[in-house]
Amino acid sequence: MNLSLSAAEWTAVLLSLKVSLWCTACLCVPGVAVGWLLARREFPGKALLDSLVHLPLVLPPVVPGYLLLLLLGSRGPLGRWLDASFGIRLAFTWQGAVIAAAVMAFPLMVRAVRLSIELVDRRLEDAARALGAAPWRVFATVTLPLALPGLLTGLVLAFSRSLGEFGATITFVGNIPGETRTLALAIYSAAQTPGNELPALRLVLLSLVLALGALYAAERLAAQARRRLQG
Amino acid sequence: MLELDVELQRGAFEMRAALVLPSAVTGIFGRSGSGKSSLLGTIAGLVLPRRGRIVLDGVTLCDVARGVWVPPHRRRIGLVFQDSLLFPHLSVRGNLEYGFKLVPRSERRFTLAQIAALLDIEPLLARRPQHLSGGEKQRVALGRALLSAPRLLLLDEPLAALDAGLKQQILPFLRRVKDELGTPMLYVSHAIDEILHLTSELAVIDAGRVLAHGTFGEVIHDERVLGLAQSLGLENVLAVRITGHDADGAATLGDCHGREMHLPPCAARAGATVYVSLRASNIALALAPVPGTTIQNQLPGIVSRITRLGDRMLVEIDVGQPLLAEVSVRAVQTLGLAPGAAAICLVKSQALAYLGGGIVPG
Repeated sequence: MNLSLSAAEWTAVLLSLKVSLWCTACLCVPGVAVGWLLARREFPGKALLDSLVHLPLVLPPVVPGYLLLLLLGSRGPLGRWLDASFGIRLAFTWQGAVIAAAVMAFPLMVRAVRLSIELVDRRLEDAARALGAAPWRVFATVTLPLALPGLLTGLVLAFSRSLGEFGATITFVGNIPGETRTLALAIYSAAQTPGNELPALRLVLLSLVLALGALYAAERLAAQARRRLQG
Repeated sequence: MLELDVELQRGAFEMRAALVLPSAVTGIFGRSGSGKSSLLGTIAGLVLPRRGRIVLDGVTLCDVARGVWVPPHRRRIGLVFQDSLLFPHLSVRGNLEYGFKLVPRSERRFTLAQIAALLDIEPLLARRPQHLSGGEKQRVALGRALLSAPRLLLLDEPLAALDAGLKQQILPFLRRVKDELGTPMLYVSHAIDEILHLTSELAVIDAGRVLAHGTFGEVIHDERVLGLAQSLGLENVLAVRITGHDADGAATLGDCHGREMHLPPCAARAGATVYVSLRASNIALALAPVPGTTIQNQLPGIVSRITRLGDRMLVEIDVGQPLLAEVSVRAVQTLGLAPGAAAICLVKSQALAYLGGGIVPG
């Protein structure tokens, strides 16, 4: 069995990694912000925000994809405005794939951050405030470092989730080789073509390795962070 | 000086307190759940009062009616909790520097080296809090709070998690902080002997209300305060006026309600008043003075009340003040003790423990 990848397959793999890394990077700030809001603040509409964030977890992925297309597509209200004002087109581009992956991975990131922040003893934050630290400093020097293991887990979960993103991506940005054909879409295309079982299998094995590697790395990172916290 | 007059609500618990505390050390005494911690939280700015105002040294920290509220990080009020709450991701040095670095250079009052020396924590600086003993943690927590140059230091049951031996090790450090640094303190505890180690000035809190405020000698006569003190395991407190010392220094003599008492040796001058605690279970009862015994103290009185406590009897004897003695049911029957009967309280001098390390000022 020939395990070496063709040029087109390499393109798909690298595109997947690029989309996933961008997606993870884009989720850092909003993921931490919303996770913190849900863990530490009481405000009207909190339950609604919680449900909205988690919606992509329970909807068929094609639904968020279609909604993105309606909103950000070339005839969508936001899409038209972005195109007219900044020349930014998201539908059927790799940047759009990042958006689709981010929407789908967001709940996983928020959940991990929220849980880890909830585990931080609030009274440590009180102690920091009494020592003269303003709220943002308390967050940066106490809450965030103590929630780091969960934060790392959240980032890797988001990365892995976006590596495997399929439904929202194909709906919003299509399956364009070299632009939006990520690993998952490449497997789908290969499996659709008769006599292409071997390339499909190669890509399946590769995505297994990538996902396993990411999860293993996450576990190691989180364990290391925990050890550092426990001295 | 701290002036406060606040009302706050936490769930079903409601607290109302009005106090004016001079800028020295004041003890806040009460059982757990009485609202002591909520009161400290309000002063520190971590708990919002429903109504009222708090003024520290002329600066209004909180005035609900006028919408004034200084956030906790600008109050410069140090807090030491029962469970130290050191930052687990920082070393001891990192913990000590946390508040220190946030104080403008010109307003810093001590250096890290001074505080580390005062509290004897220099050898611990490089360690992580997880590797400290309970007593060490509390010393670091105290140092961390002091280095943030607080205008007022709040201590919330700082010794409650430590065993008796460790308490004895920390109390001298607290005294040093009081004597050498002069930082005003509010010391919250349910153990009156801890408070009296530091100060005789105390406010007594129960069920969200201030029962009494003054020196120990003043407030202990309040029936509710005495009852509270006894229910928290102090049981009996006697005020004894020192009359002299044995020539060989083996005992101190005193006068309590007109009776001579033999106390363990102490350094108090003749004429000074000391407070001694006496557990109810350390009092034996007799119907008449007992001659030829090693028991030095025999206090005559009249039985005023007898309460059954499981298989024990709690006998209250009026010896000029009520004293509680805990004896067996059988002993009460054999002696035929009943309200109105005369009885002698027998107390070994070793059973008397000085409160506040011997001498209580004021």
